[in-house]
Amino acid sequence: MKFEGYERPDGSVGIRNHVLVIPGGIVASKICDFVAGTKTVLIAGDTYFDHTSRDRETVGRTLIGLGLNPNVASVIIDGSIARAGYAEYTVDRLYEEISKSGKRVEVLRHEDEGGTLAAIAKGIALAREMAYEASELRRQSFDVSRLVLAVKCGASDTTSGLAGNPVIGNLYDRVVQAGGTAVLGENTEIVGAEHVLAGRAVNEDVAKDILEVAETIEAEAKSTGEDIRTMNPIPANIKGGISTLEEKSLGAICKSGSSPIQGVLKYGERPGGKGLYFVDTTPTMCIYVGYAATGAQLMLFQLGGGGFVSNESDLLLYPSPGVVAPLLWTTANPGTLARSSSSIDFYSGTVLEGSETVESAGEKLLQRVLEVASGTMTKVETIRHQEPTQVYLRDPIF
Amino acid sequence: MAFKGAMMLSEEDNVATCLEEVSSGTSVEVQLGEQTRRVVAIEAIPFGFKIATADIAKGSQVKKYGESIGIASEDIREGDLVHIHNLEGTRGRGDLVKKESK
Repeated sequence: MKFEGYERPDGSVGIRNHVLVIPGGIVASKICDFVAGTKTVLIAGDTYFDHTSRDRETVGRTLIGLGLNPNVASVIIDGSIARAGYAEYTVDRLYEEISKSGKRVEVLRHEDEGGTLAAIAKGIALAREMAYEASELRRQSFDVSRLVLAVKCGASDTTSGLAGNPVIGNLYDRVVQAGGTAVLGENTEIVGAEHVLAGRAVNEDVAKDILEVAETIEAEAKSTGEDIRTMNPIPANIKGGISTLEEKSLGAICKSGSSPIQGVLKYGERPGGKGLYFVDTTPTMCIYVGYAATGAQLMLFQLGGGGFVSNESDLLLYPSPGVVAPLLWTTANPGTLARSSSSIDFYSGTVLEGSETVESAGEKLLQRVLEVASGTMTKVETIRHQEPTQVYLRDPIF
Repeated sequence: MAFKGAMMLSEEDNVATCLEEVSSGTSVEVQLGEQTRRVVAIEAIPFGFKIATADIAKGSQVKKYGESIGIASEDIREGDLVHIHNLEGTRGRGDLVKKESK
């Protein structure tokens, strides 16, 4: 089981080969508009000012993690991130931490360049040089153990828990057994199933951490005074046949497969070893940037879609908000496949039709993943649009 | 190949998920691994929705995946559609906390 990837100086292996400009903003956007092969992360409505130390640490960890992601060949840091003066994201810290990977890292210090426009001009010149350099790198053959996968499920219906998620679980088992790494998250969607995951923890501390994730998010949900069923499962889940959060969660965790859980990672934290990890993150769009910072080269989205209220014939699914890591869409719902065939990469409804087992579908999905890891685009990767996203922050802004 | 029957995931379950539109009075083939049994639908059940494979008394657990997915909010008969009208979650119930504190 091999794929063709780009070796990085720190020994990690990329499945894509981007020049990353961080953070997002006017400088990064102009550089990326101008120079091929570049990416940035569009953060909606946040300058990272006025946050608690916990949240600032998350921002710093996330930006560093994005720079370290194996799909990133080299990094340009826009110095405007450091304007507020917080220690968690000084230019020096970002530079030092990302440089530990041995990748080329360049910094745009606006004050040294002569202002914002001059910084953009310098950034464009640097990015062109770095994109050219990156293009000189050749793919080589690597073992599947070098993969880090991430997964999310959404608009789930009952086909998700019966086939879509179990097939991804089978893929996860194959990758983990081969020595690779896989992560799952979505803290709300383990409530009601946390005891099952905790039972698979490698030790008591990890079991405790898993239970604590569920306990924390459930307490927060309860503090709203609302029935969680009015928030999650979402109306489309209920229309798709899912009745309670417990049912949704028990279906959702099927995507983790059956491997032992090595640990619970903070949002954007990098795993200390190989195997299966849980990431403490919400189910919303910010999950992808967190997964990318964790080091995922490829993300899977298992779509139910049976309960979507709209019924358009050609439903375009979104490209990766994980910036540097492509998104591969799967579904087990035949109606969803028919509506979104131009966006969906893999169909696992064959398991429900009885024409295939979870095992044989999992084997096929692995082949698909290895193809994508070797350079085949995912269907939505052909779309240039990039969704703005957020970093998952826990505290109020003051 | 067409979707048909209903799928049950554990011997402990008291619901199965219908893999086809079922009309009232239909005898549905319920699969659990290699085993199959039949349950007569008392009412129409849409694709992907759950049919009770046993009587479930009000207040007792509804089980799928071999685990509790909530509590029956009314008596459920074998062959009934099981969904939000007769099944309630027990987790994340801020509404109940609010009621208690009033």
